[in-house]
Amino acid sequence: MVESIFSVTLRSLYISSAASFFAFISAVILSLIASRAEKKKADAILGIFEALVGIPTTAIGLLIYMLLFPGGPLGSLRILYTPLAIIIGEIFVALPIAYTTMFRHFQSLRGTMRELVLSLGVPEKHTSSILLRELSPVLVSSYLTSFSRAIGELGVALIAGGGIEGYTNVLTTAIAIQSSIGNYEYAIWLGLILIFMTIVLTLLLKFIGEYLIWK
Amino acid sequence: MEINLKNVWHSYDGSTFVLRNIDLLFRNSGVYLIVGPNGSGKTTLLKITSLIIKPSRGENIINGKSFWSLDERERENLRSNIIYVHDKPILVRGNVRHNLELGMKLKKKRDRTLIEYYIDRYKLRDLERKSANKLSAGQAKVITLIRALSLKPEVLILDEPFTFLDSQRSEMLIEDIEDIVEKEKGLVIIATHYMYKELKEISTQQIEIINGEIQRTQQ
Repeated sequence: MVESIFSVTLRSLYISSAASFFAFISAVILSLIASRAEKKKADAILGIFEALVGIPTTAIGLLIYMLLFPGGPLGSLRILYTPLAIIIGEIFVALPIAYTTMFRHFQSLRGTMRELVLSLGVPEKHTSSILLRELSPVLVSSYLTSFSRAIGELGVALIAGGGIEGYTNVLTTAIAIQSSIGNYEYAIWLGLILIFMTIVLTLLLKFIGEYLIWK
Repeated sequence: MEINLKNVWHSYDGSTFVLRNIDLLFRNSGVYLIVGPNGSGKTTLLKITSLIIKPSRGENIINGKSFWSLDERERENLRSNIIYVHDKPILVRGNVRHNLELGMKLKKKRDRTLIEYYIDRYKLRDLERKSANKLSAGQAKVITLIRALSLKPEVLILDEPFTFLDSQRSEMLIEDIEDIVEKEKGLVIIATHYMYKELKEISTQQIEIINGEIQRTQQ
């Protein structure tokens, strides 16, 4: 008896939302800091993140496994093969893409927003809040990209999560496992749900971000 | 508020100086006009005077205190009295009303009556709820000017304020500038290509700048 499609989908949503949320927040904080830095240093940091975007998720999964397995440096935490292990791994998967999609915008707009704030006789510390509001569509789009990357990855979920039914099994691991044992109908349904969910969420959040909140 | 620029030089790249040896005194009240061709350093001079840019060399003395040697809190205090309006309007995401109130919101000093007064005076009632990114250049310019005027600054610094404005609104702006100087005893510094007769009449001093250097000043 295989796990219900609904519970796999719900778990996928929960794990990927949590991972992409933390990755997104980290990317925003990093962007705010780096956009104040010297251009050369900021470009070097961006270069590193751009390189990290292409790293296979299986490599990140392996790294997380090596950190968390019982004999590893963080083995005492006993979180290997738990949803938390997948969330940690997916943060590393989603962070580079979140950062690279938003940083250039922070860099190009920060100077203008700083000038605006100072020209109104307001302390410079208000620049960040104005900048974040101004970049809201970019931030929405960046969050969606990181969410798509997290929900669609397999390497971390399989290696660090183990695809345990009823516990760490997510859409991608379920598709991989079920298709490998010939349960194609179930795997196709999961695949369709994954595609449908990504498209609907993307359109919904984009609509909210662009038209309802800021216009 | 008195602003004194002493031996100010400025370079953006560390090698080419866009301002050289600027000595200027803007007294407590009056209208100062800065004229000069494109690329002569007017905008840089205004941004230094507005305390937005720190000059590469020289001092910016505000009410007898060297501004850039003060601590952050004192700088914020002095800076809060000086408002600068860019030549190219900078508007933020949101509607016209939000943009008009932006300065007041950030300073936590909202005065709706004053905003209403300017909205009616500059005939912007129809635009109030319009998105800022759908405005014409002239409309955007008026919004940034009202945003500055409604803050009732001690020092108002305007970079090409008449560009994109129709003649009716230009006249209104000159009247408002006159009010700031005569009623509020404020200081207004304007860089402009449009030398209106009325503006010339109320000016305290005209300063000509060419290639980053003061060529002449005229009372």
